[in-house]
Amino acid sequence: MHTYVFLSGILIMTYFMVIAKRLPPLISSFRLQSLFLFLFTVSLAISGGEPSLYVVAGLILILKVILIPTLLLRIIKKIKVNENLGFFMNPQLSLFTALLLTYLSYLFTFRVMNLIDRMQAASFALALCVTLLGLFIMVFRIKALSQIVGLLVMENGLFLTAVTMCRGLPFIVEFSTFLDIFISVIILGVFVYRINTLFTHIDVNKLDNLKG
Amino acid sequence: MQIIYFFAIPLIIMAASFSVNNSKVLGRLNALAYFAILLSTFGLSINFKEPLSFFNFFYVDALSILFLFTISVVAFAAALFSIDYISKDVLSGAISEKKAKTYYLLFNLFSLSMFFVPVANNLGMVWIGIELTTLASAFLVGFYNKKASLEAAWKYIIICSVGIILALFGTIIFYYTASTHAGIRSLNWTEIVSSAKSLNVNIVKVAFLFILVGYGTKAGIAPMHTWLPDAHSQAISPVSAMLSGVLLKTAIYAILRFYVITNICVGAQFSSKLFILFGLISLGIACGFLLVQKHIKRFLAYSSIEHIGVIILGFGLGSGFALYGAFLHIFNHAVTKSLMFFGAANVVKKYKKDNMHAIRGIASAMPFTGLMLILGMFAIAGMPPFSIFFSEIFIAIGGFVKGSYLVTAFYLFFIVVIFGAIIYHLSRILFGKKPQGLAVSHEALSTKMAFIFLFIFICTVGIKVPAFLNTLIMGAVKIVTNN
Repeated sequence: MHTYVFLSGILIMTYFMVIAKRLPPLISSFRLQSLFLFLFTVSLAISGGEPSLYVVAGLILILKVILIPTLLLRIIKKIKVNENLGFFMNPQLSLFTALLLTYLSYLFTFRVMNLIDRMQAASFALALCVTLLGLFIMVFRIKALSQIVGLLVMENGLFLTAVTMCRGLPFIVEFSTFLDIFISVIILGVFVYRINTLFTHIDVNKLDNLKG
Repeated sequence: MQIIYFFAIPLIIMAASFSVNNSKVLGRLNALAYFAILLSTFGLSINFKEPLSFFNFFYVDALSILFLFTISVVAFAAALFSIDYISKDVLSGAISEKKAKTYYLLFNLFSLSMFFVPVANNLGMVWIGIELTTLASAFLVGFYNKKASLEAAWKYIIICSVGIILALFGTIIFYYTASTHAGIRSLNWTEIVSSAKSLNVNIVKVAFLFILVGYGTKAGIAPMHTWLPDAHSQAISPVSAMLSGVLLKTAIYAILRFYVITNICVGAQFSSKLFILFGLISLGIACGFLLVQKHIKRFLAYSSIEHIGVIILGFGLGSGFALYGAFLHIFNHAVTKSLMFFGAANVVKKYKKDNMHAIRGIASAMPFTGLMLILGMFAIAGMPPFSIFFSEIFIAIGGFVKGSYLVTAFYLFFIVVIFGAIIYHLSRILFGKKPQGLAVSHEALSTKMAFIFLFIFICTVGIKVPAFLNTLIMGAVKIVTNN
């Protein structure tokens, strides 16, 4: 039963991110989403998964709940940027699109993937939906930092897919993926920092000098 | 354990980049190291008989060695070319001595990650390797820290990360069907291939779509190519050559590994249609942009999209001739495009501008680079007796053999238009009167060696494919047709 609670927590946090108007709430919702993901993984590990799932859950807790959000919040403080996200699509329409995407991922799960187990089907649909919404945040928000968060949300969705569909990837792959995510967040952070120094803003819609 | 060299040597140079103080010495050391790597891949290719496997983690077959050899050829040429290029940048004050050392560090990290991709057996590790190539090269794209290069680097890392995440999604779905329907609890390619027949057909189709779009983004297949012209034009030039020459090919390699599994499971029809579609779109888009392009390095970048289209189309046609041509084209494009990027690098450095409308008379201002660019222009456009002509013709023959007349006709049409575009644009900048006050200059010996080294490959492969390369390509064709 509690797994359903955790799954709904992940989904609700994703919707919060879709309607968030400023950067700090976006990052806090991401932190909470990762926390629910951590709880979900732990509950899977307890209910007879593989022992490596505990390690993976620990990695989520350290990297995605603690380190990465803190790092992002520090970047915001340091570069003193306008905290508004900047919308290409307003929050109401965004939420509507998010609901539509959720429905589409359900359709995809039942029509294309033909999953029989209801629990598995629900979590796959949810994972796919989270991945899509991560992409949505990347595309329809203006600030460069929201693209980083969108990328992380997509990765959360992927992780959820891996955990629910095949009880996690082989351990070495899972471990390197986490390391990889951490490195890429650091590198992206460095670039945000540099862009802010050189352009005095981090609005990606104004990065349009290279064309053709 | 011959593959240990690919990892040990770059690591040594990375360590050296911290301790050696003179960047010029470091550059020479770097070139020497890549010569050693080249020799070891050459040794590996000549002695290749059957697939090698180490610790169930590394797996090296003909397909891997073909890519390893291509990477080491281009990396060696880029290392040679870097010596003079970087030391001139240091002299002119464009970069500091410390930054030059960072360059060699990143260069080695970048090639290390590319060497890792073809030898990993685990498809998840292949994914990690490809993601690492993005991370390592992002700083090389944004190397000069100007507005344009930062913009390009940002787009590069964001678009490629999204692509690569989709690819991981595809990999996970493959793993799902492998573990549920075939009972394999591992992502090793060798194991999945051996029981590919028991995978679920529908799920494999879905997964392959994600793989193709995901890794296709990294490979620069249109319409997911939007990062490519920016990144290739803004990257530091020896790295542009590596991005264009081999980075795109490592992504193709990853697609090919899944292509083999998919073909066994659902039949060749499915992937063939997709490849032909994406190949033609790439050719068409590249064709349009090549006709109107002004910026010299962007011009070469769009030409890379064209050649990736040719390669994908070759794999899509799938007959023996076409596959042979596609593999040969991977090598030919790598060496020819690197040569062109080196030439463009010299031109941009000399004229201090990259707009092709403003550059005239390269042949008289820089005789050696000019000569190489003239020959390279004919080679990249696909003129006999240079190698690209033959691989393109093989693919065309493959299309006719298979009976895909319409596709082949489109392919030939695009190739011909692009031939015209390349000759028109490049001959305008190569010939004509050089601007007054521009002194005639000569290149350093190491730079000339880089050009000649690549040119030897362009010519010899055009005249006759060397026996060892032929064996490798035949082996690779056998792997992808699975017999």
